[in-house]
Parts: sequence; structure tokens; C-alpha cells
Amino acid sequence: MIRKTVLCAMPLLALVLAGKTIAAWSSEILPLPNGSSRIRFEEIAAKAGVNHLHHTRVFKGLKADVLGMFTAGGASVVIGDYNNDGLEDIFLTDSDEGRSNRLYRNDGNMKFTDVTEAAHIAGGNDSHSIVSDAVWFDYDNDGWKDLLIARFGTPLLYHNEKNGTFKDVTRESGLNTFGNSIAVIVFDYDNDGNLDVLLGNYFKPENLLDLKDPHVLPNDLDNAINGGGVTLYRNNGKGNFTDVTEKAGLSRHTGWTLDMGHGDFNNDGYEDLYLACDYGTDRLFFNNRDGTFRDVTEKAIGFDTKKGMNAEVADYNNDGLLDIYVTNITDEYMKECNMLWHNNGDGTFTDVSKETGTCDTLWGWGAKFGDFDNDGFQDLFAANGLRSAGEENYIPVLLEMIIKPGIDFTDVRNWPEIGNRSWSGFQKKKMFHNLGTQTFREISADAGVDNNRDGRGVAVADLDGDGLLDIFQTNANQQAMLYRNRSEKTGNWVELELIGTKSNRDAIGARVKLQVGTQTLLREVQGGNGYAGQSPARIHIGTGPLTKIALEIRWPSGAVENVTVPVNRLTYIKEGKGAVKPEFGSRLDAAPR
Amino acid sequence: MIEIVTLLLFLSVMQAAGPAEQQYSLAVKAIAARDNANALGYLEAALTADPDNIRYASDYRQLLIQTKQYDRGTNFFDKLVQAHPQAANAHLNYGFVYVDKIPDSGSITQVILANKALSHFSKAIELKRSWIALYTRGNSYMYWPRIFNRTHLAVADLEEAMKIQKADRTKSYYIRSYISLGDAYWKMDNLEKARSVWREGLTVFPDNPQLKARLAANGDGLKALIDDTYDPNKRVDTNLKELWTEQ
Repeated sequence: MIRKTVLCAMPLLALVLAGKTIAAWSSEILPLPNGSSRIRFEEIAAKAGVNHLHHTRVFKGLKADVLGMFTAGGASVVIGDYNNDGLEDIFLTDSDEGRSNRLYRNDGNMKFTDVTEAAHIAGGNDSHSIVSDAVWFDYDNDGWKDLLIARFGTPLLYHNEKNGTFKDVTRESGLNTFGNSIAVIVFDYDNDGNLDVLLGNYFKPENLLDLKDPHVLPNDLDNAINGGGVTLYRNNGKGNFTDVTEKAGLSRHTGWTLDMGHGDFNNDGYEDLYLACDYGTDRLFFNNRDGTFRDVTEKAIGFDTKKGMNAEVADYNNDGLLDIYVTNITDEYMKECNMLWHNNGDGTFTDVSKETGTCDTLWGWGAKFGDFDNDGFQDLFAANGLRSAGEENYIPVLLEMIIKPGIDFTDVRNWPEIGNRSWSGFQKKKMFHNLGTQTFREISADAGVDNNRDGRGVAVADLDGDGLLDIFQTNANQQAMLYRNRSEKTGNWVELELIGTKSNRDAIGARVKLQVGTQTLLREVQGGNGYAGQSPARIHIGTGPLTKIALEIRWPSGAVENVTVPVNRLTYIKEGKGAVKPEFGSRLDAAPR
Repeated sequence: MIEIVTLLLFLSVMQAAGPAEQQYSLAVKAIAARDNANALGYLEAALTADPDNIRYASDYRQLLIQTKQYDRGTNFFDKLVQAHPQAANAHLNYGFVYVDKIPDSGSITQVILANKALSHFSKAIELKRSWIALYTRGNSYMYWPRIFNRTHLAVADLEEAMKIQKADRTKSYYIRSYISLGDAYWKMDNLEKARSVWREGLTVFPDNPQLKARLAANGDGLKALIDDTYDPNKRVDTNLKELWTEQ
């Protein structure tokens, strides 16, 4: 109640530009003909020293080929500043037995050094477990980012020892439930100041690497209910976690969870949840603000039969409400179309993917919003492509199985081997430029990001501190890609490192609002939303021609602060203290760039 | 247990069914009164008495679509064709129930439903090579992506349908074959032949906007037009009333 009163009582400090809308700025600073954009990227992974080839797990025994196909993910990228030098570092996962995950330290100027061995976080791919995803988060609020690795198996938790090394603290963490986890996000669901962990589980908890029962695949290819659901771990604040899935009201969800996105969709100060599920309906849960969630799927979005692959959360139209972007499959025979869930502000959402031009990204995977030209509108990059191999196509072979009367889809033995066939491979990635008119234009070729690798995870971060968001794309069984943003004549920007005190230290769930006339630029700090990719907690806002920015920050604790920050630099803001110098120093040193 | 109950219900409907037209009249009244539950029962009774009646079957399916009771429809037609294996129109409409369900289904279920529909359309053709059965199967092949290599089958059926209609007096619904056959040639990458069929269609149906649109379009525009026509997520109008309202 107190929190609500504070929220309502705080006046919104708005910056009004004499009636100018952001769309008007865009036309002033970016006057290009025919709606074309200035957004340009250059692929520099090798030049930057990031040479990461992902390997999917090679199974042994019964229908190894089919199990390999069903688990052909695991190429994840998570970005965060693990050594507190102000530069965002990159952690990449691998999935085959004995293969190492890699940690690349950012040395500045787009140069990275592989520090995996020294950091002691290479492990996870053993004979019983497959690494699938990861997330940076400061679970003990000591100011240093720790690392959680999700697996088909049990998770791994590494504590940051503050000296460039990590310590495996899984045993004492309580994160010990076996699950076929394919995704992980962190957020503070009960606003107690400690980050909680949500694992998205694909298969039911059956060890695929020692398969006893072949009936592990989806029981229905459009309405499956025999997946692994989710596991919610509450952070007890003492270095350990408790499984509260059932208590929180999430245990009845038994779908094939492939990705999750958190965000305060109904603006009540608590984080809600979107679950993107393969082989059946996605789910939306609203937070009851008492440690439990309620399933609002039917009323809020309706039930679907699509193959949900990605749950990204952002306000795409600057109306101050968080929207959700879900990739699905739109290929040669599955014409699903993605879903851009426009938040109607009344607890319901409307899919506007067709109207906005973001419907078709082929066989979708990770997709992330980011204002790549700093014009105040968030653009969108989407990875895609399942398997690029030989000339023969797997779909007709698969069809023979699908249309067989009475076929048991759950039985792995019934699925045809894929061999060297391709399946929705060689697909061009998609980049959508936000035109600021509730529509997007596909610009991937012009922007230089239309590679045709088998994309998986996407993370968006300003890796070189130049105020332009770069993109990292992981690929299954292929080299990862780093796209440096080379756009010119872009708008101003602000970057914010929020430091929670009463709230969780990473400030995940904190929201920043910039009011410009009738438009509200809203950013919320995320803890790993989107498939196989974590963008940094650092907030980035393109501000067009604005030079002085007045922001409202709402912390997860409920406190609301108003701060004014300069453009074109990183500002550290501590809860209750306003702008501060970085506690551990910064190689960026918060200096203008 | 459920199957036994369903069978008993079905038999009771059969026993209760009076003359087909009488049941159909009751159904029409029930529909007018928005009493869908009773209307479905009357239509089932009418079809049981006259299983090859295409009008009863078509009206029955429209009601199934309204009430989304597709499974009731497949169960009913399954028993109907078992009891009347020679009723070609019953098989045809059995296939249409699956088509009717496609827009309300997931992408993979759509493939399964489309395939089931095809098997019933084939049975209908096997029993009676009618224009409607040939056109229906030929047109349904058009919804299959190229990768499944079924377009040549569409051409074969639609050419057969075309032969039938050319031997008959012109009927308004014959326009459909010109559109679909031209589309099938386009999908076989034979644009010249496609245009030829569409042009021929225009000589018979001079004002048809769909033929005009196809002939006016090129490249990606034409592709978008045809892709949109065969979008499995859009409901196909399977109401067959043109067949009996055409004079």
C-alpha cells in the first residue's frame, strides 16, 4: 500500500519539446529518402578475438540422430561486466560432451581475450548433462556478477570471487533439481531485494543421455502438454535457493517451455511472466504480489498452437507499456507468423505482428529489440534457421511420419532420421527498422546482418562504449558472430548502470521512463529475456537531438527517483543516491565519448 | 465406452429419422430459431435418410463451423460412410469437415487434416467422377507447399474438371476451375500456360476480378496474390449452395 501511494504521489518529471514528437526528431536527424535507414553493421568476431564454434550434443544409442535434432540449441550468449571495469564481457556456451564454455574479457576497443581457463567456468558438458543457457546475476548482492548455467541436467552456480575467478557453489545453493532446462532468467518476483531464478524446461525430467523410456517427445505437435514446464527457485538471501514452483502457482504448466520473458506488464510494480512454448500455447502469468502468480493466458492473449521460440519484452511504440515479441515458425509448411503482443493497458494484448511487418522471420529463434540508430524507437533483430546441411530436405520425410494414422509422436523410435538433410536452413537473418509509425521496415541486407547461419541466441550491448548498440549472434554448430554497429549521424544517447541498494543490486526489474511530449520511452532492466541470449543490465536509450535528459526511475523496492543525466555518456545511478561514481572504477570512467 | 454411447446415439437418430425432407424442414426452422443443437440433430437425421444429399451435408457442415463442432462432424460422417459406402457426396463432405477444421488448427495438425481430407476426396472421385469432386481435390492440392510435390496432381484433377465443365452449359461456379488451374500452372512455373488459362476464363467470365487481378500482376505481386489465395490459415468457403442455386 505504501509503495502504491509513493508511486501515485510522485509527479512525473517530463521533458516536453514544444510539441515535437520523436518521429519529428527522427526526420530532422535522419533525413533519408524512401524510408531507408542509416543502420549499418560490420561483422568483426574474428578480428575482435572471439572465435567460438558451438557444437550441439552428439547422442549415443537409441535414435541418437533424432534426440540430437530435438536438442539442437545450447548456443547461448550472455553479456555482463564480470570484472567491474565498465566494459561488458561475453560468456558463450557449448553443448557437446567435454566441450568448454568460453569467457571473453573485454579489453576495450573491441578486443577480447579468452580468459576461460583462468576463470574456472569452462565445465558443464559431461556425460550426464548438456549446457543449454546461462545468465549473469549478482545473487548475493556483493556487487560482482555471478554466473548460473542451465543444463539438461542440474544447474551450475558459479560465485564471482572478485579476482577474475569463479567458484562452483552449486552444492550449497540448493539448485539441485534435475530438469531438461533450456532457458534461464533471473528476476525478483517477490521484490524482497534478492534475485530469484526461473528455469524453462523443455522435455519432462527424463535423462535423455540415459534414456530408459523412449516416450519423451511431444504428445501433440500443436497442443503438447507433456513438456517440462518451469522451475522457480526463490533466493533465500543467504546464498541458497528453494524450489517454490508449486507454491508460486506455476507447477500446473506442463508445456514445452523454450523461453521466458519477465516484465511488469500491468504496471503494478511486480514482475509478470511470459512463457514461450514449443508445440503449443504460450502462457502469461500475472504476479499476485503475494509470492504467487495467476495464469491469465485465456483472457489476456488467448490460447495458440504455435511453436513459441523467443520471448522478448520491450515497449516498441513508446506508449509506456511493455509489449512482447514472440518468434514462431514460418517456413515452407508451417505458416505460423510471429506474435508482437501490443499491450492494451487493460490486462489484454493484441497481436500486431502482421500490421507492424514483423510477422515473418522464418524458423525463429532469439530476437532482441534495440535502438540501433538512437532515434528514440527500438528496432529489432531476429535470428533464424534450424539446420543447414545437405541439399535433401527433411520435411517430406517428416511428413510421412506425421500423416501416418495413429502415430505415437512421443515415441522417439517413430521419428525418421534426419541424416545429412537440411531443415529450414540457410535462412537470412532479419532486422526491422522501427519507423516510429507503429510499423517496421526489414533492412537486414542494407544493414549488413543478413547472414544465413543457423542462428540461436542474440544479445544486444554497447561493447565498445561508443553509444551504439552492437549485436552478438550465436549459431548452432557454427561460428558465433559479432556485429559492430557502424551507423553514422545517429542520435544522442544515454546509458545507465543502475545499482540497487534496497532493491536487488543488479536492479533487474527497475524501470526508467523518459517523457517526451505524448511519448514515453520506457526501459526495464532485464535478467535474460529472449532465447539463449542475455543483454546487459545496462540501460541504453537513444534520445535523438535531446541534450539534457530528465528521467524517472522506479526501483523494484517501489522507490521512485527523478534524475537528470547528460547525453552521450554512461552514468552510474545508485538507488536513493542519484548519480554516483562507479564503486570499482571504470575503464570507461563515465567520461564523454 | 464413449464409442458405444456414440453408436447408440447414432442408431437412435437413425431410428427416429423420418423422411429426409421432413427432417430437413425441421432443421431449417431450428436454424431460423437459432436452435443449433436441435438443428444439427435434424440435419444428421436427414442425412441418415438421404446420405448422398449434398445440400443437407453442406448445410450441416456450415452449422458445424459456426459451433466449432468439427469432431462431431467427423464422427457422424465416419459412421455415415460406413453405413453407406457408395455415397460419394457423403465422402466428399466428410473430407470437407477436415478442411473446415484447418483454420482452427495448429500448423502441423493442418497437414494431418489436409491429408485426411484428401483421402475422402479421392474416395468420392473413385465413386463418382463429378466436377465438384475433381475440382475440390485439385484445389486442395494447391494448398500443399511445393516441397510436397503435389501440384502436378492439382493440374491433373483441374484439367479433368475443366473437361467436364466445357461439355456442359456455363455455370457461374465454373469460374473456379479457371482460377485454380491457372494458379496450378503458375505454381508449376509455367506462367505462359497460367496466363492462357486465366485469359480463357475471362472470355467466359469477362468481369471476373480475380482473373483480372492475376493477369494484371507480375513477379512478387502475383506470388503474393496466389500465396494469399492458398493461405491455410484463412477459412475456405466450403458452402456448396452454388451447386443447387445455379440456374
